[in-house]
Amino acid sequence: MAEVTYSWQDYLVPELRGLMKSGMSKHLAEIEEIRLRLGRPLVLRLANREVTLDENGMVCERLEKGIVVGRDLIERSVQVLSQGSLYAWEEEIRNGYITITGGHRIGLVGRGVLEKGEIKTLKEISGVNYRIGRQVLGCADSIMPYLVGKNGMFCHTLVVSPPQCGKTTLLRDIVRQISNGVGSLRFNGVNVGLVDERSEVAGVYRGVPQFEIGMRTDVLDACPKAQGMIMMIRSMSPAVIATDEIGKKEDVEALHQALQAGVSVLSTVHGGSLAEVKERPVIGELLSFKFFERLVLLSRGKGPGTVEAIYGGRNWERMK
Amino acid sequence: MMRCTGALCIICGCGYAGLKAAGTYSRRVEVLRNLQNGFSLLETEISYSSTPLPVALRRAGEKLDKITGSVFGKAAALLEMNRGYTAGEAWEEAVSILAGESFVRREEMSVLLMFGHGLGNSAREEQLKNIALTREQLRIIEKKALENRDKNTKMWQYMGFCLGIIIVLVLI
Repeated sequence: MAEVTYSWQDYLVPELRGLMKSGMSKHLAEIEEIRLRLGRPLVLRLANREVTLDENGMVCERLEKGIVVGRDLIERSVQVLSQGSLYAWEEEIRNGYITITGGHRIGLVGRGVLEKGEIKTLKEISGVNYRIGRQVLGCADSIMPYLVGKNGMFCHTLVVSPPQCGKTTLLRDIVRQISNGVGSLRFNGVNVGLVDERSEVAGVYRGVPQFEIGMRTDVLDACPKAQGMIMMIRSMSPAVIATDEIGKKEDVEALHQALQAGVSVLSTVHGGSLAEVKERPVIGELLSFKFFERLVLLSRGKGPGTVEAIYGGRNWERMK
Repeated sequence: MMRCTGALCIICGCGYAGLKAAGTYSRRVEVLRNLQNGFSLLETEISYSSTPLPVALRRAGEKLDKITGSVFGKAAALLEMNRGYTAGEAWEEAVSILAGESFVRREEMSVLLMFGHGLGNSAREEQLKNIALTREQLRIIEKKALENRDKNTKMWQYMGFCLGIIIVLVLI
């Protein structure tokens, strides 16, 4: 059977697909999110604004004029995106989203079905959020020189960023570059262990990473971070361990093990500024005993992925 | 001589038509059994390994005979194309393969179409119930079809030849 390649538009119902092709054709590459909320207008999130589509399929900034999402549209969308097999995605639905080919994610909300006090699945789906993952090859180019230390080793790095500022995209590109090596810095590629708890960084679909993550990268997909990091250290001898969004107590234990094993750590955390992150219980402690050597702060200042500052050194001096 | 050949042709022709008509009864029973097998296979795929519907339909289709297999196979293909078909729509279109066949009656068609309405839009338990219900209905239809076959096969086999002989006698 020939492998069929899908784009994210294949997961939309035909009428939405049509609208994307007609009204949104100019902005297709900009779409970050498509949100369907029952009884409310369709919302499309672009790089720096939110728009909707009116009845004529025209782009429109006043959301209240947009097409109202009906029950039928949501039900059909769920059928199409799950290929009529919502039951096959129960595990994913428990986490709230489904990863599709291309590494995009579709978030779902609805009414929980409980079994023994735990969520078994969702029914009466009332909201669907298509999150279009983007790969920006080379978005880490400008910061790579700061992340490689004088001894030629990759520094323990933490990316701090508010939501939707391209934190995962940046992490992905850093992973790719340290895995492939950076010629201009005379940095040879090293083994990278990527613990991808939410299948977001590598976007693994049926075992195949959907994004470029480098030649020397091993992915532990959908594993809890703390356990996954320890497994990685034991099994794949990585020089760098990368993971998204640390912040739990058990993560700290795993980070210490990485330190003892001489493995560099690359991770991200939600936050708007250095001061804010320092106040956080777990991350604050990590920062106070200087686990991380570099801190990269992101913002949406000049579009997603703007590098606001890089901190390093003993007192978090600003390097850039 | 001409007369004899003509008479023989008429008798053989009518006899063949009779046998054909008798054959649809056994063919119908066969198809009904195959469909039930298909649904059993589908049930196993969904309940034990939570296989996504397109793959489950394809696997079930591969183990069936040509005509019933093609129904499952087509539904799978339509879903895999990701053209925005819901499972129900894909199934409905696939079932239309059977619509023109002489050995498929309205009864089983309506059961198959009903199955499509419940397909793909609910939790696993509901899906399994839907499959079990469809299978049960097909089983009942098969039972009747079996009685029909036993009653009518012999009759049609003889009737064709008898009709041929009568026509020949009238013409002579």
